[in-house]
Amino acid sequence: MDDEDLVFKALADPTRRLLLDRLFERDGMTLGELEAEVPQLTRFGVMRHLGVLEQAGLVVTRKQGRHKHHYLNPVPIRLIYERWIDKYRARQAAALLDLKGQLEGER
Amino acid sequence: MTTMTEPGTATQVYQLYIKASQEEVWKAITDPVTVARFFFGQVREGTYEVGSPIRSWSPDRSQMWGDNVILECDPPRRLVHTWRSLYDPDLAAEPESRITWEIEAQPGGFAKLTLVHDRLDASPKTAASVRGWSYILSNLKTVMETGEALPPLT
Repeated sequence: MDDEDLVFKALADPTRRLLLDRLFERDGMTLGELEAEVPQLTRFGVMRHLGVLEQAGLVVTRKQGRHKHHYLNPVPIRLIYERWIDKYRARQAAALLDLKGQLEGER
Repeated sequence: MTTMTEPGTATQVYQLYIKASQEEVWKAITDPVTVARFFFGQVREGTYEVGSPIRSWSPDRSQMWGDNVILECDPPRRLVHTWRSLYDPDLAAEPESRITWEIEAQPGGFAKLTLVHDRLDASPKTAASVRGWSYILSNLKTVMETGEALPPLT
């Protein structure tokens, strides 16, 4: 699977989006803190979902002392945004140039 | 580890893979010409010696954007410097924060770049505004992998 597939797969699950939402509100939480945010999940469940998010690059962990902190990494989403939005903008610009050419050609 | 932060300090982490060597990424983030291409056209000056200033200005040099100090320099792996957003008076009034650039070589000709912006506890406005690191870093990736820069932010 390429990086983009991993990001979409990670985002396709509501629990994982919830975990990202919680990190957006309060970045740098430990596993224990994240567990408390989603009491409906077992510790194993939280770890498994965090693993998928980490694999996709959406969560980055950093060790500080005895604790491992989890950070929301927005860069993969930015890269997807740029890929599609830039393509769209480029097409728009090309269409406008075509229109300009047509209108000026008619004169 | 000399730069350990206390848990609970406001920290932001940005990470991406770039199809380039560790040395190439190091060069890109320290070479003024490349820095200008991915970082809002800024004019960058600095020798990257520990304790020395690293300064940046707007493209026409009319406004100082950054007047920071190098805290650690370990090419091509690690660069740490202070941060104050001088381009906005509200942000400039907040206490200094810290930027760490970490570059790791990866298999397959990739480098992993991690930017940590921390010590932001007492600088909430700065913390909110520097979410733009995502744009700057993906611009760096685009410049390094395609030679083109992204269209400006609108």
